[in-house]
Amino acid sequence: MAKHIKTITRSPLLKREHTGCGECQTTVGNQTCLKT
Amino acid sequence: MLHCFTLGGVSLVYDVHSHSLHEVDDLAWALLSRGLHLEPEQASSVLLLADGYSRQEIEEAQEEIAQLISEGLLCAPDPYTGYTPPPFIVKALCLNVAHNCNLSCSYCFAGAGSLGRTDVLMPLATARQAVDFLLSNSGTRRNLEIDFFGGEPLLNMPVVEATVAYARERGRAEGKKFGFTLTTNALLLDDQVSRFLLENGINAVLSIDGRPETHDRLRRTHGGKGSHAQVVSRIMHYLELHRTWPDPKGYCYVRGTFTGYNLDFAQEFRYLAGLGIDDISLEPVVAKSEADYALLQQHLPAIAEEYRRLAEDYLEVAASGREIRLFHFEIDLDGGPCLPKLLSGCGAGHSYLAVSAQGDLYPCHQFIGRESFRIGNVSGGALRDDLIEQFRTAHVYAKAKCRQCWAKFLCSGGCQAHCQLENNDILNPPELACQMMRRRLECALYVRSRKEQLVNMEKIV
Repeated sequence: MAKHIKTITRSPLLKREHTGCGECQTTVGNQTCLKT
Repeated sequence: MLHCFTLGGVSLVYDVHSHSLHEVDDLAWALLSRGLHLEPEQASSVLLLADGYSRQEIEEAQEEIAQLISEGLLCAPDPYTGYTPPPFIVKALCLNVAHNCNLSCSYCFAGAGSLGRTDVLMPLATARQAVDFLLSNSGTRRNLEIDFFGGEPLLNMPVVEATVAYARERGRAEGKKFGFTLTTNALLLDDQVSRFLLENGINAVLSIDGRPETHDRLRRTHGGKGSHAQVVSRIMHYLELHRTWPDPKGYCYVRGTFTGYNLDFAQEFRYLAGLGIDDISLEPVVAKSEADYALLQQHLPAIAEEYRRLAEDYLEVAASGREIRLFHFEIDLDGGPCLPKLLSGCGAGHSYLAVSAQGDLYPCHQFIGRESFRIGNVSGGALRDDLIEQFRTAHVYAKAKCRQCWAKFLCSGGCQAHCQLENNDILNPPELACQMMRRRLECALYVRSRKEQLVNMEKIV
Protein backbone atom coordinates (compact mmCIF):
# COMPACT_ATOMS: atom_id res chain seq x y z
CA MET A 1 0.00 0.00 0.00
CA ALA A 2 1.58 3.27 -1.11
CA LYS A 3 1.86 5.75 1.73
CA HIS A 4 3.39 8.75 0.06
CA ILE A 5 2.05 8.74 -3.50
CA LYS A 6 -1.50 8.11 -4.61
CA THR A 7 -1.64 7.40 -8.34
CA ILE A 8 -4.85 8.81 -9.79
CA THR A 9 -4.48 7.75 -13.42
CA ARG A 10 -2.31 4.91 -14.60
CA SER A 11 -2.60 4.50 -18.34
CA PRO A 12 0.88 4.93 -19.76
CA LEU A 13 0.85 6.38 -23.26
CA LEU A 14 3.52 3.93 -24.31
CA LYS A 15 1.27 0.98 -23.53
CA ARG A 16 -1.67 2.24 -25.57
CA GLU A 17 -2.52 1.55 -29.16
CA HIS A 18 -1.74 4.52 -31.35
CA THR A 19 -3.45 3.83 -34.61
CA GLY A 20 -3.63 7.41 -35.85
CA CYS A 21 -6.67 6.17 -37.76
CA GLY A 22 -7.98 9.72 -38.13
CA GLU A 23 -11.58 8.73 -37.52
CA CYS A 24 -12.04 10.70 -34.28
CA GLN A 25 -13.86 14.01 -34.34
CA THR A 26 -11.55 16.64 -35.72
CA THR A 27 -7.61 21.09 -26.37
CA VAL A 28 -8.10 17.66 -27.80
CA GLY A 29 -7.75 15.87 -24.51
CA ASN A 30 -11.50 15.82 -24.09
CA GLN A 31 -12.16 13.28 -26.79
CA THR A 32 -12.17 9.61 -26.09
CA CYS A 33 -11.11 7.25 -28.83
CA LEU A 34 -12.20 3.72 -28.12
CA LYS A 35 -9.13 2.47 -29.94
CA THR A 36 -6.76 4.01 -27.43
CA MET B 1 9.21 15.29 -17.67
CA LEU B 2 7.29 16.16 -14.49
CA HIS B 3 5.01 19.05 -13.66
CA CYS B 4 4.63 19.55 -9.90
CA PHE B 5 2.02 22.00 -8.64
CA THR B 6 -0.26 22.63 -5.68
CA LEU B 7 -3.86 23.74 -5.82
CA GLY B 8 -6.57 23.81 -3.19
CA GLY B 9 -4.10 22.44 -0.64
CA VAL B 10 -3.41 19.38 -2.81
CA SER B 11 0.07 18.54 -4.15
CA LEU B 12 -0.06 16.99 -7.60
CA VAL B 13 2.56 15.58 -9.95
CA TYR B 14 1.69 15.15 -13.62
CA ASP B 15 4.04 12.88 -15.55
CA VAL B 16 3.93 14.41 -19.02
CA HIS B 17 5.16 11.53 -21.15
CA SER B 18 3.00 8.85 -19.57
CA HIS B 19 -0.07 11.07 -19.00
CA SER B 20 -0.16 9.82 -15.38
CA LEU B 21 -1.36 11.94 -12.47
CA HIS B 22 -0.24 11.45 -8.87
CA GLU B 23 -1.22 13.05 -5.58
CA VAL B 24 1.74 13.22 -3.22
CA ASP B 25 2.41 13.94 0.44
CA ASP B 26 4.94 16.50 1.68
CA LEU B 27 7.86 14.07 1.60
CA ALA B 28 7.23 12.81 -1.94
CA TRP B 29 6.67 16.44 -2.95
CA ALA B 30 10.04 17.38 -1.47
CA LEU B 31 11.72 14.59 -3.43
CA LEU B 32 10.00 15.16 -6.77
CA SER B 33 9.56 18.93 -6.90
CA ARG B 34 13.19 19.50 -5.90
CA GLY B 35 14.48 16.91 -8.36
CA LEU B 36 15.97 14.88 -5.51
CA HIS B 37 14.67 11.66 -7.07
CA LEU B 38 17.36 12.19 -9.70
CA GLU B 39 20.10 12.38 -7.08
CA PRO B 40 21.86 9.37 -5.54
CA GLU B 41 19.66 8.09 -2.71
CA GLN B 42 22.29 8.86 -0.12
CA ALA B 43 22.58 12.50 -1.17
CA SER B 44 18.83 13.09 -1.19
CA SER B 45 18.51 11.36 2.18
CA VAL B 46 21.02 13.74 3.75
CA LEU B 47 19.01 16.73 2.55
CA LEU B 48 15.70 15.31 3.74
CA LEU B 49 17.05 14.16 7.10
CA ALA B 50 17.97 17.79 7.63
CA ASP B 51 14.31 18.64 6.96
CA GLY B 52 13.26 16.39 9.83
CA TYR B 53 12.07 13.29 7.95
CA SER B 54 13.06 9.89 9.36
CA ARG B 55 15.32 7.54 7.41
CA GLN B 56 12.53 4.95 7.21
CA GLU B 57 10.06 7.47 5.73
CA ILE B 58 12.61 8.62 3.18
CA GLU B 59 13.39 5.06 2.09
CA GLU B 60 9.67 4.25 1.77
CA ALA B 61 9.08 7.28 -0.47
CA GLN B 62 12.15 6.50 -2.55
CA GLU B 63 10.93 2.93 -3.03
CA GLU B 64 7.49 4.12 -4.16
CA ILE B 65 9.08 6.47 -6.68
CA ALA B 66 11.36 3.71 -7.98
CA GLN B 67 8.35 1.40 -8.36
CA LEU B 68 6.37 4.00 -10.34
CA ILE B 69 9.36 4.68 -12.58
CA SER B 70 9.69 0.94 -13.28
CA GLU B 71 5.97 0.82 -14.19
CA GLY B 72 6.41 3.69 -16.65
CA LEU B 73 4.17 6.00 -14.61
CA LEU B 74 6.81 8.48 -13.51
CA CYS B 75 9.72 10.03 -15.43
CA ALA B 76 8.56 8.12 -18.51
CA PRO B 77 10.62 8.62 -21.66
CA ASP B 78 9.29 10.80 -24.46
CA PRO B 79 7.04 8.43 -26.41
CA TYR B 80 7.90 10.09 -29.72
CA THR B 81 11.45 10.59 -30.82
CA GLY B 82 10.36 11.14 -34.40
CA TYR B 83 7.00 12.03 -35.85
CA THR B 84 5.66 11.90 -39.39
CA PRO B 85 2.43 13.87 -39.74
CA PRO B 86 -0.45 12.19 -41.57
CA PRO B 87 -0.91 12.95 -45.29
CA PHE B 88 -3.37 15.57 -46.58
CA ILE B 89 -6.74 13.89 -46.06
CA VAL B 90 -9.75 16.11 -45.41
CA LYS B 91 -12.13 14.78 -42.79
CA ALA B 92 -14.12 17.85 -41.80
CA LEU B 93 -15.33 21.06 -43.38
CA CYS B 94 -16.66 24.17 -41.70
CA LEU B 95 -19.21 25.75 -44.04
CA ASN B 96 -19.81 29.46 -43.61
CA VAL B 97 -23.29 29.18 -45.03
CA ALA B 98 -23.96 32.78 -43.98
CA HIS B 99 -21.28 35.39 -43.52
CA ASN B 100 -23.86 37.88 -42.34
CA CYS B 101 -25.56 37.82 -38.98
CA ASN B 102 -28.57 39.12 -37.10
CA LEU B 103 -26.26 40.13 -34.25
CA SER B 104 -23.26 42.42 -34.27
CA CYS B 105 -21.03 40.90 -31.59
CA SER B 106 -17.94 43.01 -30.97
CA TYR B 107 -15.49 40.09 -30.77
CA CYS B 108 -16.80 37.98 -33.67
CA PHE B 109 -14.23 36.30 -35.97
CA ALA B 110 -16.52 37.41 -38.78
CA GLY B 111 -15.97 41.11 -38.01
CA ALA B 112 -19.36 41.86 -36.45
CA GLY B 113 -20.98 39.33 -38.72
CA SER B 114 -19.99 40.52 -42.18
CA LEU B 115 -16.43 39.20 -42.71
CA GLY B 116 -15.94 42.27 -44.85
CA ARG B 117 -17.68 40.61 -47.79
CA THR B 118 -20.76 41.67 -49.72
CA ASP B 119 -22.26 38.40 -51.03
CA VAL B 120 -23.11 36.90 -47.73
CA LEU B 121 -25.19 33.74 -48.17
CA MET B 122 -23.66 30.54 -49.54
CA PRO B 123 -25.56 29.33 -52.62
CA LEU B 124 -26.70 25.70 -52.57
CA ALA B 125 -24.51 24.96 -55.60
CA THR B 126 -21.43 26.01 -53.60
CA ALA B 127 -22.50 23.92 -50.59
CA ARG B 128 -22.91 20.88 -52.85
CA GLN B 129 -19.47 21.51 -54.36
CA ALA B 130 -18.09 21.62 -50.81
CA VAL B 131 -19.62 18.23 -50.04
CA ASP B 132 -18.16 16.84 -53.29
CA PHE B 133 -14.75 18.34 -52.41
CA LEU B 134 -14.86 16.71 -48.98
CA LEU B 135 -15.77 13.31 -50.39
CA SER B 136 -13.12 13.40 -53.10
CA ASN B 137 -10.38 14.46 -50.64
CA SER B 138 -11.35 12.18 -47.74
CA GLY B 139 -9.22 9.21 -48.75
CA THR B 140 -10.02 6.16 -46.63
CA ARG B 141 -11.84 8.12 -43.91
CA ARG B 142 -15.29 6.71 -43.17
CA ASN B 143 -16.59 9.31 -40.70
CA LEU B 144 -16.82 12.80 -42.18
CA GLU B 145 -18.01 16.01 -40.53
CA ILE B 146 -19.64 19.21 -41.65
CA ASP B 147 -20.02 22.22 -39.35
CA PHE B 148 -22.53 24.90 -40.25
CA PHE B 149 -21.07 28.17 -39.10
CA GLY B 150 -21.11 31.87 -39.82
CA GLY B 151 -22.14 34.58 -39.29
CA GLU B 152 -25.45 33.07 -38.38
CA PRO B 153 -26.14 29.82 -40.27
CA LEU B 154 -29.87 29.86 -39.50
CA LEU B 155 -30.16 32.86 -41.86
CA ASN B 156 -29.57 30.34 -44.65
CA MET B 157 -31.67 27.46 -43.35
CA PRO B 158 -32.85 26.22 -46.78
CA VAL B 159 -29.21 25.61 -47.76
CA VAL B 160 -28.49 23.89 -44.42
CA GLU B 161 -31.42 21.53 -44.93
CA ALA B 162 -30.56 20.78 -48.56
CA THR B 163 -26.87 20.25 -47.74
CA VAL B 164 -27.69 17.71 -45.03
CA ALA B 165 -29.89 15.78 -47.46
CA TYR B 166 -27.31 15.94 -50.26
CA ALA B 167 -24.40 14.87 -48.03
CA ARG B 168 -26.38 11.94 -46.62
CA GLU B 169 -27.33 10.83 -50.14
CA ARG B 170 -23.74 11.09 -51.43
CA GLY B 171 -22.41 9.45 -48.26
CA ARG B 172 -24.69 6.45 -48.67
CA ALA B 173 -23.52 6.03 -52.27
CA GLU B 174 -19.85 6.11 -51.22
CA GLY B 175 -20.12 4.19 -47.95
CA LYS B 176 -19.29 7.19 -45.78
CA LYS B 177 -21.08 8.60 -42.76
CA PHE B 178 -21.61 12.32 -42.16
CA GLY B 179 -21.87 14.00 -38.78
CA PHE B 180 -23.21 17.56 -38.58
CA THR B 181 -22.82 20.40 -36.10
CA LEU B 182 -24.47 23.80 -36.18
CA THR B 183 -23.32 26.83 -34.17
CA THR B 184 -26.00 29.44 -33.65
CA ASN B 185 -26.75 32.56 -31.64
CA ALA B 186 -30.19 30.95 -31.10
CA LEU B 187 -32.25 33.99 -32.14
CA LEU B 188 -33.88 32.01 -34.97
CA LEU B 189 -33.91 28.69 -33.12
CA ASP B 190 -37.68 28.27 -33.20
CA ASP B 191 -39.61 25.06 -32.70
CA GLN B 192 -39.44 24.10 -36.38
CA VAL B 193 -35.66 24.56 -36.62
CA SER B 194 -35.15 22.78 -33.29
CA ARG B 195 -37.10 19.77 -34.49
CA PHE B 196 -35.13 19.69 -37.75
CA LEU B 197 -31.86 19.55 -35.77
CA LEU B 198 -33.12 16.80 -33.49
CA GLU B 199 -34.74 14.75 -36.24
CA ASN B 200 -31.46 14.82 -38.16
CA GLY B 201 -29.17 14.16 -35.19
CA ILE B 202 -27.34 17.46 -35.71
CA ASN B 203 -25.13 18.62 -32.84
CA ALA B 204 -26.01 22.11 -31.64
CA VAL B 205 -23.63 24.68 -30.18
CA LEU B 206 -25.66 27.52 -28.66
CA SER B 207 -23.94 30.84 -28.02
CA ILE B 208 -24.60 32.63 -24.74
CA ASP B 209 -22.00 34.46 -22.68
CA GLY B 210 -23.64 34.07 -19.28
CA ARG B 211 -25.31 36.69 -17.11
CA PRO B 212 -27.56 39.26 -18.85
CA GLU B 213 -25.17 42.17 -18.31
CA THR B 214 -22.20 40.14 -19.59
CA HIS B 215 -24.02 38.84 -22.65
CA ASP B 216 -25.64 42.14 -23.63
CA ARG B 217 -22.43 44.14 -23.32
CA LEU B 218 -20.95 42.63 -26.49
CA ARG B 219 -23.70 40.54 -28.11
CA ARG B 220 -26.05 43.17 -29.47
CA THR B 221 -28.30 43.57 -32.46
CA HIS B 222 -27.26 45.85 -35.31
CA GLY B 223 -29.54 48.44 -33.69
CA GLY B 224 -27.55 48.20 -30.46
CA LYS B 225 -30.09 46.27 -28.39
CA GLY B 226 -29.15 43.41 -26.08
CA SER B 227 -30.13 39.89 -27.11
CA HIS B 228 -29.96 37.99 -23.82
CA ALA B 229 -33.65 37.67 -22.97
CA GLN B 230 -34.59 36.28 -26.36
CA VAL B 231 -31.54 33.98 -26.52
CA VAL B 232 -32.18 32.44 -23.09
CA SER B 233 -35.79 31.77 -24.01
CA ARG B 234 -34.80 30.02 -27.25
CA ILE B 235 -32.00 28.01 -25.65
CA MET B 236 -34.12 26.78 -22.75
CA HIS B 237 -36.84 25.69 -25.18
CA TYR B 238 -34.28 23.77 -27.25
CA LEU B 239 -32.66 22.12 -24.23
CA GLU B 240 -36.05 21.00 -22.92
CA LEU B 241 -36.94 19.57 -26.33
CA HIS B 242 -33.55 17.81 -26.45
CA ARG B 243 -34.02 16.45 -22.92
CA THR B 244 -37.40 14.93 -23.73
CA TRP B 245 -36.51 13.80 -27.25
CA PRO B 246 -36.48 10.00 -27.54
CA ASP B 247 -32.83 8.93 -27.90
CA PRO B 248 -31.39 12.16 -29.36
CA LYS B 249 -28.45 11.42 -31.66
CA GLY B 250 -26.83 14.85 -31.53
CA TYR B 251 -25.27 16.50 -28.49
CA CYS B 252 -25.80 20.11 -27.55
CA TYR B 253 -23.95 22.52 -25.32
CA VAL B 254 -23.90 26.22 -24.62
CA ARG B 255 -20.78 28.13 -25.46
CA GLY B 256 -19.75 31.46 -23.97
CA THR B 257 -16.85 33.82 -24.50
CA PHE B 258 -15.22 35.67 -21.62
CA THR B 259 -13.31 38.90 -22.16
CA GLY B 260 -11.46 41.60 -20.29
CA TYR B 261 -14.85 42.89 -19.17
CA ASN B 262 -15.76 39.80 -17.15
CA LEU B 263 -12.67 38.50 -15.43
CA ASP B 264 -15.12 37.07 -12.88
CA PHE B 265 -16.18 34.49 -15.48
CA ALA B 266 -16.81 31.79 -12.88
CA GLN B 267 -19.99 33.76 -12.25
CA GLU B 268 -21.08 32.95 -15.82
CA PHE B 269 -20.69 29.25 -15.07
CA ARG B 270 -22.75 29.59 -11.90
CA TYR B 271 -25.41 31.52 -13.79
CA LEU B 272 -25.63 28.99 -16.64
CA ALA B 273 -25.57 26.02 -14.26
CA GLY B 274 -28.29 27.78 -12.27
CA LEU B 275 -30.48 27.79 -15.37
CA GLY B 276 -30.23 24.00 -15.35
CA ILE B 277 -27.77 23.78 -18.24
CA ASP B 278 -25.51 20.72 -17.90
CA ASP B 279 -23.08 21.12 -20.83
CA ILE B 280 -21.12 24.34 -20.78
CA SER B 281 -18.07 25.72 -22.56
CA LEU B 282 -16.53 29.07 -21.58
CA GLU B 283 -13.63 30.24 -23.70
CA PRO B 284 -11.25 33.20 -23.60
CA VAL B 285 -11.77 35.78 -26.34
CA VAL B 286 -9.26 35.74 -29.22
CA ALA B 287 -8.45 39.36 -29.98
CA LYS B 288 -5.69 41.80 -30.78
CA SER B 289 -4.44 43.50 -27.62
CA GLU B 290 -5.73 46.92 -28.74
CA ALA B 291 -9.37 45.74 -28.57
CA ASP B 292 -11.14 47.22 -25.54
CA TYR B 293 -12.39 43.75 -24.54
CA ALA B 294 -9.02 41.97 -25.03
CA LEU B 295 -7.46 39.82 -22.35
CA LEU B 296 -4.08 41.30 -21.44
CA GLN B 297 -0.97 40.20 -19.57
CA GLN B 298 -1.94 42.37 -16.59
CA HIS B 299 -5.17 40.35 -16.29
CA LEU B 300 -3.29 37.08 -15.77
CA PRO B 301 -3.27 37.01 -11.92
CA ALA B 302 -7.03 37.65 -11.87
CA ILE B 303 -7.64 35.01 -14.58
CA ALA B 304 -5.50 32.46 -12.73
CA GLU B 305 -7.46 33.03 -9.53
CA GLU B 306 -10.76 32.88 -11.41
CA TYR B 307 -9.85 29.53 -12.99
CA ARG B 308 -9.26 28.21 -9.46
CA ARG B 309 -12.63 29.58 -8.36
CA LEU B 310 -14.23 28.00 -11.43
CA ALA B 311 -12.73 24.64 -10.48
CA GLU B 312 -14.11 24.89 -6.94
CA ASP B 313 -17.53 26.00 -8.20
CA TYR B 314 -17.61 23.13 -10.67
CA LEU B 315 -16.65 20.61 -7.98
CA GLU B 316 -19.34 22.01 -5.69
CA VAL B 317 -21.99 21.38 -8.36
CA ALA B 318 -20.56 17.94 -9.19
CA ALA B 319 -20.50 16.99 -5.49
CA SER B 320 -24.26 17.50 -5.35
CA GLY B 321 -24.55 14.47 -7.61
CA ARG B 322 -25.47 16.44 -10.70
CA GLU B 323 -24.06 15.28 -14.05
CA ILE B 324 -22.53 18.48 -15.34
CA ARG B 325 -19.78 18.96 -17.90
CA LEU B 326 -17.56 21.99 -18.25
CA PHE B 327 -15.34 21.61 -21.29
CA HIS B 328 -12.41 23.16 -19.47
CA PHE B 329 -12.19 20.18 -17.19
CA GLU B 330 -13.16 17.31 -19.46
CA ILE B 331 -9.75 15.80 -19.99
CA ASP B 332 -9.38 12.08 -20.36
CA LEU B 333 -6.05 10.82 -19.08
CA ASP B 334 -7.10 7.17 -19.18
CA GLY B 335 -8.44 6.76 -22.69
CA GLY B 336 -8.01 10.03 -24.54
CA PRO B 337 -6.85 10.46 -28.11
CA CYS B 338 -3.89 8.57 -29.55
CA LEU B 339 -0.52 10.25 -29.94
CA PRO B 340 -0.87 11.27 -33.59
CA LYS B 341 -4.05 13.12 -32.59
CA LEU B 342 -2.47 14.62 -29.48
CA LEU B 343 0.35 15.96 -31.61
CA SER B 344 -1.65 17.33 -34.52
CA GLY B 345 -4.48 19.00 -32.57
CA CYS B 346 -7.50 20.34 -34.40
CA GLY B 347 -6.21 19.46 -37.87
CA ALA B 348 -6.65 22.99 -39.25
CA GLY B 349 -5.25 23.34 -42.75
CA HIS B 350 -4.84 19.66 -43.52
CA SER B 351 -7.67 17.50 -42.15
CA TYR B 352 -10.07 20.31 -41.30
CA LEU B 353 -10.78 23.23 -43.64
CA ALA B 354 -13.26 26.09 -43.73
CA VAL B 355 -15.26 27.20 -46.76
CA SER B 356 -16.39 30.79 -47.26
CA ALA B 357 -19.77 31.62 -48.79
CA GLN B 358 -17.97 32.06 -52.12
CA GLY B 359 -16.46 28.58 -51.88
CA ASP B 360 -12.96 29.71 -50.97
CA LEU B 361 -11.02 27.28 -48.78
CA TYR B 362 -9.11 28.40 -45.68
CA PRO B 363 -7.26 26.51 -42.92
CA CYS B 364 -10.13 27.12 -40.47
CA HIS B 365 -13.06 29.45 -39.84
CA GLN B 366 -10.85 32.00 -38.09
CA PHE B 367 -8.66 32.38 -41.19
CA ILE B 368 -11.56 33.27 -43.48
CA GLY B 369 -10.87 36.70 -44.93
CA ARG B 370 -7.09 36.51 -44.35
CA GLU B 371 -6.37 36.36 -48.08
CA SER B 372 -2.78 35.13 -47.85
CA PHE B 373 -4.21 31.96 -46.29
CA ARG B 374 -6.66 31.17 -49.10
CA ILE B 375 -5.93 27.54 -50.05
CA GLY B 376 -8.18 27.23 -53.11
CA ASN B 377 -11.85 26.96 -54.03
CA VAL B 378 -14.29 24.06 -53.85
CA SER B 379 -15.29 24.63 -57.49
CA GLY B 380 -11.94 23.25 -58.62
CA GLY B 381 -8.48 24.40 -59.60
CA ALA B 382 -5.16 23.96 -57.88
CA LEU B 383 -4.76 24.00 -54.11
CA ARG B 384 -1.97 25.86 -52.30
CA ASP B 385 0.17 22.81 -51.52
CA ASP B 386 2.72 25.03 -49.76
CA LEU B 387 0.08 26.23 -47.28
CA ILE B 388 -1.27 22.74 -46.69
CA GLU B 389 2.26 21.50 -46.02
CA GLN B 390 2.90 24.41 -43.65
CA PHE B 391 -0.11 23.43 -41.54
CA ARG B 392 0.38 19.68 -41.88
CA THR B 393 3.83 19.95 -40.37
CA ALA B 394 2.89 22.48 -37.65
CA HIS B 395 2.57 19.86 -34.93
CA VAL B 396 3.68 20.05 -31.30
CA TYR B 397 7.22 18.85 -31.99
CA ALA B 398 7.69 21.48 -34.71
CA LYS B 399 7.09 24.28 -32.19
CA ALA B 400 10.15 25.12 -30.14
CA LYS B 401 8.08 26.52 -27.25
CA CYS B 402 5.88 23.44 -27.12
CA ARG B 403 8.51 20.70 -27.19
CA GLN B 404 9.65 21.47 -23.65
CA CYS B 405 6.24 22.46 -22.28
CA TRP B 406 4.58 20.17 -19.73
CA ALA B 407 1.15 20.86 -21.26
CA LYS B 408 2.04 19.74 -24.80
CA PHE B 409 -0.10 16.58 -24.84
CA LEU B 410 -3.09 18.32 -23.26
CA CYS B 411 -3.00 21.49 -25.34
CA SER B 412 -1.65 20.14 -28.64
CA GLY B 413 0.27 23.27 -29.49
CA GLY B 414 -2.35 25.96 -29.26
CA CYS B 415 -4.59 27.51 -31.88
CA GLN B 416 -2.84 28.16 -35.22
CA ALA B 417 -5.15 31.09 -36.02
CA HIS B 418 -4.32 32.71 -32.69
CA CYS B 419 -0.57 32.14 -33.29
CA GLN B 420 -0.85 33.84 -36.67
CA LEU B 421 -3.03 36.69 -35.39
CA GLU B 422 -0.75 37.53 -32.48
CA ASN B 423 2.73 36.57 -33.70
CA ASN B 424 2.30 36.28 -37.48
CA ASP B 425 3.71 32.76 -37.19
CA ILE B 426 1.63 29.59 -36.82
CA LEU B 427 4.56 27.95 -35.01
CA ASN B 428 4.71 30.60 -32.30
CA PRO B 429 1.89 30.46 -29.73
CA PRO B 430 1.10 33.73 -27.89
CA GLU B 431 2.65 33.70 -24.43
CA LEU B 432 -0.49 34.91 -22.63
CA ALA B 433 -2.58 32.18 -24.28
CA CYS B 434 0.01 29.61 -23.16
CA GLN B 435 0.00 30.88 -19.58
CA MET B 436 -3.79 30.81 -19.46
CA MET B 437 -3.90 27.32 -20.95
CA ARG B 438 -1.37 25.98 -18.46
CA ARG B 439 -3.35 27.41 -15.54
CA ARG B 440 -6.58 26.03 -16.94
CA LEU B 441 -5.00 22.59 -17.33
CA GLU B 442 -3.65 22.65 -13.78
CA CYS B 443 -7.23 23.29 -12.65
CA ALA B 444 -8.46 20.45 -14.89
CA LEU B 445 -5.93 18.04 -13.36
CA TYR B 446 -6.92 19.24 -9.88
CA VAL B 447 -10.59 18.63 -10.72
CA ARG B 448 -9.67 15.16 -11.98
CA SER B 449 -7.99 14.36 -8.67
CA ARG B 450 -10.92 15.67 -6.62
CA LYS B 451 -13.50 13.83 -8.71
CA GLU B 452 -11.59 10.65 -7.95
CA GLN B 453 -12.05 11.46 -4.27
CA LEU B 454 -15.79 12.04 -4.79
CA VAL B 455 -16.13 8.63 -6.45
CA ASN B 456 -14.26 6.96 -3.59
CA MET B 457 -16.42 8.71 -0.99
CA GLU B 458 -19.56 7.49 -2.77
CA LYS B 459 -18.20 3.94 -2.63
CA ILE B 460 -17.65 4.28 1.13
CA VAL B 461 -21.17 5.67 1.65
